Amino acid sequence: MTSQKISTLKYLSSLKFLLVLVGCISSPILFAKNINDDELTADEIVVKASLASYYGGNDGRTMARMKIVDANGRTQLRQFTILRKDVEEGGKQKFLVVFSRPTDVAGTVFMVHKKPGSQDDRWLYLPALDLVKRISAGDKRTSFVGAHYFYEDVSGRSPDEDKHELVMESEAFYQMRHTPKEPTSVEFSYYLTWIDKKTFLPVKIQYFDASNKATRLIEAVETINVQGIPTVVRAKVSNLTDGSYTLMEFKKMTYDLGIDEDVFTESALRNPPKKWLDFN
Amino acid sequence: MSIEYYIKQLKVTGTISRMSERLINFSLSRPVLVYWLLLVLTIAAGALIVNIEVDTDPENMLSPDEPARVFHNQVKSDFMLSDIIVVGAVAREQKSIFNQKSLADLKRLSDSILKLEGVKTEDVNSLSTIDNIEQADQGTIRFEWMMPEEPVSESQAQSIGNKSLRLPFVVNSLVSGDQKAATIYVPILDKNESYRIAQDIRGEVAKLSNSNDYYITGLPVAEDTFGFEMFVQMGISAPLAAAVIYLLMLYFFRSASLVAAPMVVAMSCVIIIMGAMIGLGYTVHIMSSMIPIFLMPIAVVDSVHVMSEFADRYKPGERAEKVIREVTGHLFQPMLFTSVTSAAGFFSLAITPIPPVQIFGVFVGCGILLAFLVTIFFVPAYVSRMSESALVNMQSKLHSGNESKSLIAKTLPSWGRFSVKNSKLIVLFCSVTVIVSVYGIFKIQINDNPVRWFKQNHEIRIADRILNQHFAGTYDAHLVFDFEEKKRLQESWSESIKQLANSTSLDTETVKRLNEVLKNILVSPHQVLAVADDLAFEATEKEMHILEKIILESEKAIVGLKKFTEPEMLAYIEKLQAYLLTSGYVGKSNSVVDLIKTVNRELRSGDDRDFIIPDSQAAVAQTLLQFQSSHRPQDLWHFVTPDYTSSLVWLQLTSGDNQHMAQVVETVNQYIVDHPLPSGVSVNWAGKAYLNLIWQDKMVSGMADSLMSAFVIVLVMMIFLFRSVIYGLLAMLPLSITIVFMYGMIGWTGKYYDMPIAVLSALTLGLSVDFAIHFIERTRTYYQQTGSWNETLSLMFKEPATAISRNALVIALGFTPLLLAPLVPYITVGAFLATIMAVSAMVTIIVLPASFNLLKVFLFKTKAS
Repeated sequence: MTSQKISTLKYLSSLKFLLVLVGCISSPILFAKNINDDELTADEIVVKASLASYYGGNDGRTMARMKIVDANGRTQLRQFTILRKDVEEGGKQKFLVVFSRPTDVAGTVFMVHKKPGSQDDRWLYLPALDLVKRISAGDKRTSFVGAHYFYEDVSGRSPDEDKHELVMESEAFYQMRHTPKEPTSVEFSYYLTWIDKKTFLPVKIQYFDASNKATRLIEAVETINVQGIPTVVRAKVSNLTDGSYTLMEFKKMTYDLGIDEDVFTESALRNPPKKWLDFN
Repeated sequence: MSIEYYIKQLKVTGTISRMSERLINFSLSRPVLVYWLLLVLTIAAGALIVNIEVDTDPENMLSPDEPARVFHNQVKSDFMLSDIIVVGAVAREQKSIFNQKSLADLKRLSDSILKLEGVKTEDVNSLSTIDNIEQADQGTIRFEWMMPEEPVSESQAQSIGNKSLRLPFVVNSLVSGDQKAATIYVPILDKNESYRIAQDIRGEVAKLSNSNDYYITGLPVAEDTFGFEMFVQMGISAPLAAAVIYLLMLYFFRSASLVAAPMVVAMSCVIIIMGAMIGLGYTVHIMSSMIPIFLMPIAVVDSVHVMSEFADRYKPGERAEKVIREVTGHLFQPMLFTSVTSAAGFFSLAITPIPPVQIFGVFVGCGILLAFLVTIFFVPAYVSRMSESALVNMQSKLHSGNESKSLIAKTLPSWGRFSVKNSKLIVLFCSVTVIVSVYGIFKIQINDNPVRWFKQNHEIRIADRILNQHFAGTYDAHLVFDFEEKKRLQESWSESIKQLANSTSLDTETVKRLNEVLKNILVSPHQVLAVADDLAFEATEKEMHILEKIILESEKAIVGLKKFTEPEMLAYIEKLQAYLLTSGYVGKSNSVVDLIKTVNRELRSGDDRDFIIPDSQAAVAQTLLQFQSSHRPQDLWHFVTPDYTSSLVWLQLTSGDNQHMAQVVETVNQYIVDHPLPSGVSVNWAGKAYLNLIWQDKMVSGMADSLMSAFVIVLVMMIFLFRSVIYGLLAMLPLSITIVFMYGMIGWTGKYYDMPIAVLSALTLGLSVDFAIHFIERTRTYYQQTGSWNETLSLMFKEPATAISRNALVIALGFTPLLLAPLVPYITVGAFLATIMAVSAMVTIIVLPASFNLLKVFLFKTKAS
């Protein structure tokens, strides 16, 4: 147990996350027009992809809504605001997730201090219990508040944890195959990604189990330009076994707001920064 | 006696004898055609048998639209429940299962089960697939897999033990309270696959080190295994029954070629009926699997009568055709009536509300009528074409047999004399027996349990016993709470939203989009909220005002509907759960309350003092949000629906006896009377143990109806047949005594009244009335011929009594191969039917002469005067 955990703690960036929570609020990167695509190695593509969608400007803000639909078609909504600030380009980042719906969980806050190469710090604030809690740095492939997204999709899976191969290259996509270095630490045996050659945003990630069956699928449903940056605004994670899924939608995305660093402190959990949460 | 007058006016007899003449003529004049017809029909029907589909699901004892079954399946779908195989591991030598080797094996087994085809992987519950939630350091909460890898040391194994014993969901479900055993709950996608999956699991078990003993149980395995063994029993019992009947007849008639005729009748009837049933698309259920073995002895009965009389009358040198014409013509009417009454007994099963019993009754009934027709067409044709030498041969053998007289023929006359001499004593004895039996009937305990369908030493029974010893129970019942106000709340919400949505302040486009969602009858506030929220992004200030109202109303509705996050409601469930434990049959119950309390405890101090329900609705919601941040958020939806308007309490029962389930239901009802449910909330039952109880109730009342109606129908038929009310009543006497005696015995011996026992009543009625019909019919014929009661009696105890006894023996012994069946219901049916046939034949032979003797003044007055 312990050995496997430590390995999951080293993040440089995340592949899955890029589609989802961060993809939309990452800052622009210059697409390397001068790089000859043919010469990119698999590892380079992955790093570029993760940079493209994960690290960029200094900060970002978005409204997010998750529609969680179960196998019977029953829907639950979760709505929250995400604030993000990069501490160092390609390195440490801080996130604050403040829930607004359903109203009985309004005010619940989730905070991450992402520290690549070390363990992330995660906090939780539950207003109705008046409780600030740290979340143990353990397995991060647990559900994010009941959605089909994992916490690791939120805080990031390091490219270092997988071996990457370029399976195929088409006009538009790189198709990559990623195999975990520590298979016991994850529920999949490998996953495939389709990375857009222009934006370096993965448009599809497909997870396979030991018997080679596709079990989980993440798709970028809609991508728009925000302040000149290609940004995923609708993404969907599907459980391919039972047909349930989560649809994540982003609204009112803004980059480079100049968010204060003290927004991301433990003491701010009880008093989320109104200034940054007010979209009007 | 006006009824009798009218009955006598009926010209039934004439019509019947004309009909019989025509039929027999046809048979005797075109024997080859009869052969071909029968052969073609048998082959055609036989070809359909390959489409056989076995159904062992006790759920099918209820019709698909039965409300309890509909609700059960709705609950299964609402709470995403699967049928479950329970695999138990008990540490073999070690005191506790929490040792390195045992847990390593458990992990390995669990991993291999996850790879099996047909397993619902994400819902498999074992120590290695569940989450542990606990306090890590000060102020830190942690979700982690309980046993992500095989433990490598004893201390690791012990630590897994300590952690799991802190989780109420695990204790006595996944690990036993005595720490000796652990389970793997294996949900399966298709219950018809459970036997195959159980076999696969056994295969995986064989690969493990032998630190644990393994047991596999759960209702789906029991049912599917039953289906498998049902085939085995059909393969054994049906041919055996045929063999027994064949040998018995061979003993009676000493002629293999003569006996071949009834065997052809029996075989062709069984094949045609089974083929027709399967061809019509009916599945072979536990009931219908018994059709061959029921039909075979009954089908030969008519032929036995014909053969018996033919063997007696035929003299060498006579034309066989002439004798068989006489014999068949003479027996036509009693055979028709016995067939129709037997069939009526079986047809009466069609009025039970249990589909497999209906199918069984209808097809056996049809089979009996078919056997009659085949007998009338085939037997005369066959006998008339027998070679002279074969007939002479039979005759000589029979004669040599007759000289030393069979046991039956020797003893019967003394029975007759005894019966007449002690008629008063016999009636008194019968009366006492009936009174004692009726008393016994009131002591009958109605109970059934599909696991008990296996013998004591069957591996399923053993697994059941051992696992229920260690755990809080492997039988499931579901107590489902529904927030009935839901509908009203949702309606008033949608009313107000509809008004708002058509407000003039809104743009036409906005109105259109809102109404698009609202036109869905089952629209949820979540959906409206999502649309209104989207619209709000681009709304003008004027629109915003309305949209905000819609959003607010919908938010209020969402929270208002979440009944099962209200602390008061949860407290009610918590108290009921505590009370259930005192009933004695509920080993444990699990609900969303246990989840909430566990998470709350770990969110706070980790101490037992925080093992409580949080004090506000929002606090409950936020606690649950944390539960959903585990590896298995979907587990929550087995206990509450996503809108929190329904909640399920999973009861683990240590016994699958319907009796015990009934007691649990009674306990809950009493609790609800004493502690009324929170307003707007209702409670209902689901789960296999409960469904079994429902179909049992239906069966008990259904069988009573079926028995009563069969009794009335047969009585009316008897009155018409004998054109006499008193004879009609007398004909019903032997079987009434038999049935009362049989059920009285069941009551006195404490044998449970279960499915096979219930079915017996109608069968007894249909079968044993035959004896009385033949006895009375022949008595009256002899009396008409002789005019003397004494002479009639002595004649009666020669050929007719012998034929009756032979038939009783054929049927009784024909059922005995069921005693060799590996499954208890077949044994029960075999044992009881054999007994019933023997008893009712004896009652007929002893009680009827005694009654005749006492009532001779009334019965034989016409002739006497």
